[in-house]
Amino acid sequence: MAISADTPEESRELIRKAGLTYPLLSDGKAEAIRRYDLLAAKAGIDGRDIAGTAEFLVDTSGTVRWRNLNETGPEEFMKAAATLQ
Amino acid sequence: MTNRLWNWRLWAGFGVSFLALVIYFLLIQKTRAIFWGSLVLFVLSAALLISGLKRAYGQPQSYRGKIAGPILTVLGVLFLGVFGWGVSLAAKYFPAARNAPQVGQKAPEFITVDSHGNSVALVQLLSTSMPTSGGSRTPKGVLLVFYRGYW
Repeated sequence: MAISADTPEESRELIRKAGLTYPLLSDGKAEAIRRYDLLAAKAGIDGRDIAGTAEFLVDTSGTVRWRNLNETGPEEFMKAAATLQ
Repeated sequence: MTNRLWNWRLWAGFGVSFLALVIYFLLIQKTRAIFWGSLVLFVLSAALLISGLKRAYGQPQSYRGKIAGPILTVLGVLFLGVFGWGVSLAAKYFPAARNAPQVGQKAPEFITVDSHGNSVALVQLLSTSMPTSGGSRTPKGVLLVFYRGYW
């Protein structure tokens, strides 16, 4: 699941353009983004509030199993994902 | 005139301030969280420049640098300004995320909207099967990817 402050229309456009097969979620008021402390205030085009880049792997109990706050490659994630049951 | 000593502190101070700026921008991926290294170098550079200026103007008969001193100092201050600008931009675009959920903590619940306008909650994502190429499967978990958007 990929989350941003984009509108559903913008997400549809991105899905179409990039040929994405996974859903994009819109957090227009940046509520989820704030809850994860990832708010980049007024850093978007037109001074919109947007999300900083981050990834969280959440298991079915709702617990964070792995996270990445830097812009690194997928290797670490693949290792963490392999431990899920 | 020819007997006056080279005022190396001015040049060293200038060099250190340049180095501090270059290091900051070369390592921005790592230093956007820890910019203290460059800040310490800037303090060192300021100390060298001030001491060099004191020599140039206090003992002009012994040291050179009355012209070079102010120029190098202004450039050093300029580098410091660019560094400060870089740090403030980094803070804006790369939130520190100090309170982001850590490994082992509960992922905060949220409700968002998918690209068709349907409400989607985290708890739903964790329990609902997703259609896949081979039918549908119960999820083992969910990868939440926060991205800047507006591509």
